[in-house]
Amino acid sequence: MSEDTGHKNASASPQRRSFLLAAAWGGGIAGLGGLTGLTIAKLTRKQTAAPARKPVLGDEFTYDVARFQKSDPALLRYQEITRFASGLEHARALAVAADAAIFVGGNGGIRNFSAKGEAGLKISLDQPVYSIALRASGEMIVGQLGKISVLDASGAVLAVWSGLPENLLPTSIALAGELVFVADAANRVVLKLDASGKKLGVIGARDPARNLKGFVVPSPYFCVRMAPDGLLRIANPGEHQIEAFTLDGDLEVAWGHGSFAVAGFCGCCNPVSFDVFPDGSFVTCEKGLPRVKLYNSTGEFTGLVAGPDAFPEYLQAANAGTTDVLGSGVYAAIDPQGRVLVLDSVSGLIRIMQRKPLDHE
Amino acid sequence: MSDEPSNPAGENQRPTGERRRPAGSVGHPAQHSPVIEPPLPSASLPAAQFSRHAISRRELLKSGARGASLLGFGAAAGFLSGRESKDATRWQIDPNQCIQCGRCATDCVLEVSAVKCVHSYGMCGYCKLCTGYFEPEPINLDEGAENQLCPTGAIKREFIEDPYYEYSINKELCVGCGKCVKGCNMFGNGSLYLQVCHDRCINCNICSIATACPAQAFHQVPLTKPYLLRGKGASAK
Repeated sequence: MSEDTGHKNASASPQRRSFLLAAAWGGGIAGLGGLTGLTIAKLTRKQTAAPARKPVLGDEFTYDVARFQKSDPALLRYQEITRFASGLEHARALAVAADAAIFVGGNGGIRNFSAKGEAGLKISLDQPVYSIALRASGEMIVGQLGKISVLDASGAVLAVWSGLPENLLPTSIALAGELVFVADAANRVVLKLDASGKKLGVIGARDPARNLKGFVVPSPYFCVRMAPDGLLRIANPGEHQIEAFTLDGDLEVAWGHGSFAVAGFCGCCNPVSFDVFPDGSFVTCEKGLPRVKLYNSTGEFTGLVAGPDAFPEYLQAANAGTTDVLGSGVYAAIDPQGRVLVLDSVSGLIRIMQRKPLDHE
Repeated sequence: MSDEPSNPAGENQRPTGERRRPAGSVGHPAQHSPVIEPPLPSASLPAAQFSRHAISRRELLKSGARGASLLGFGAAAGFLSGRESKDATRWQIDPNQCIQCGRCATDCVLEVSAVKCVHSYGMCGYCKLCTGYFEPEPINLDEGAENQLCPTGAIKREFIEDPYYEYSINKELCVGCGKCVKGCNMFGNGSLYLQVCHDRCINCNICSIATACPAQAFHQVPLTKPYLLRGKGASAK
């Protein structure tokens, strides 16, 4: 048996060797052919030609807003006293408690800071936070994509409100006693809810019979605040206005106009956020040209909290064209001491601005 | 026909001069003995001595034909594969990386760039004051040339209903400078952005705009998905 096998091996070996040799040669030749083919394919492709001589683009092809990015120091009514990092990516929710504690929300959850900016509680949340409102009890009402949750002071979830639009984009929340008003940028209305989150109505939907044209909200920046006069103030960014509504949704008055000049609201859709002082005057925030401005209760421009040049990181990103168009908001909140807290999403910094003493003081 | 001597069996007698195995040594490698024979002039070699190593003319032609067909097959396969890999991709701009530097307008090999502004109607706010359409501080919010941002007048503005307006791009006029894109990105929501239009692009091996792009925003994308569109219902028109 073994002899037989040995004989077969002995007789098969030369053939096998020849076969392997032939295969190797064949493979080599085919490979060489393949390489030749690839080279030919490469050579016959359309090559990069030198670009046709075109003139360098003139100034008319440059988008230039540099002249609007400088502010007049004479208009500045506030000065920065401190700043600190929110520690959140896309920080976009800002709220101040009655004890002046600062709450910031963004991607990753919520961060709490003292009035001096010392870091406190960190609440981790899976979904990005778009808005926060604080109840006197210490509970937080938190707006996230598609839902509103109630958290206790430690961050534990007490309730998640149901019955709201599936595509809800709650960019701002205002409280008026037991009532909760949620600005829904996706549906361009303000939802009126009771304390348990039950929907009571909708404010601002298009209704010609009530002289309501509807809110124009091209991007996810839509703000609602409760004013001391008992009326809601709602930004209509596409119309460059702040509108006053009764709690039942009747439009009372509106002010604001579009302009790159300092007294107006710039770009297609501003203001992106605002807050109301106890005397009924306003602090407003704009994106594109990051400006934080002051208006009296009737909408007259009275000065700047911070001009565009106070936000160098923002301007650098905007001019370089690297701004995340959906994450370039500027937000303001007024604390119990009358200071203005300013958050810009690009740098993630919170600046505490204090009113400058008047010349005669 | 041939000057080469041939033996009666028709085998060519060629001195190889290469390392040869002694007769009967084929088989196990251990049996190979490194016998090196020096090359000898063919005239001095008896025909019988090389008959085992010589090949016939027929075999030579046969082997040659086989080799040639293999080479040809390989070349064809290589050529097709090279063509296939090139034809399977297209150049495209990632709008999230684009910085609207203006190089798309100046660096395309075509007289007028294949890069054009496209509009995501699903994202657009249909704003009355579109920062992609109007100069930063327009005299009036109307279609007067002095109010328009686009230096070639490539954007058309149409009233829809108060306060909404629709904007569309005339690709024949657009040169791909990205000025409107910058205005829309800086102040709006980015519904205007640049794309390589494949009804014009000649799909160069190495795109000259891609080479010049300071943001490395150009990528080769599959032919089956040649546009990198933004927003729901985006259309490259």
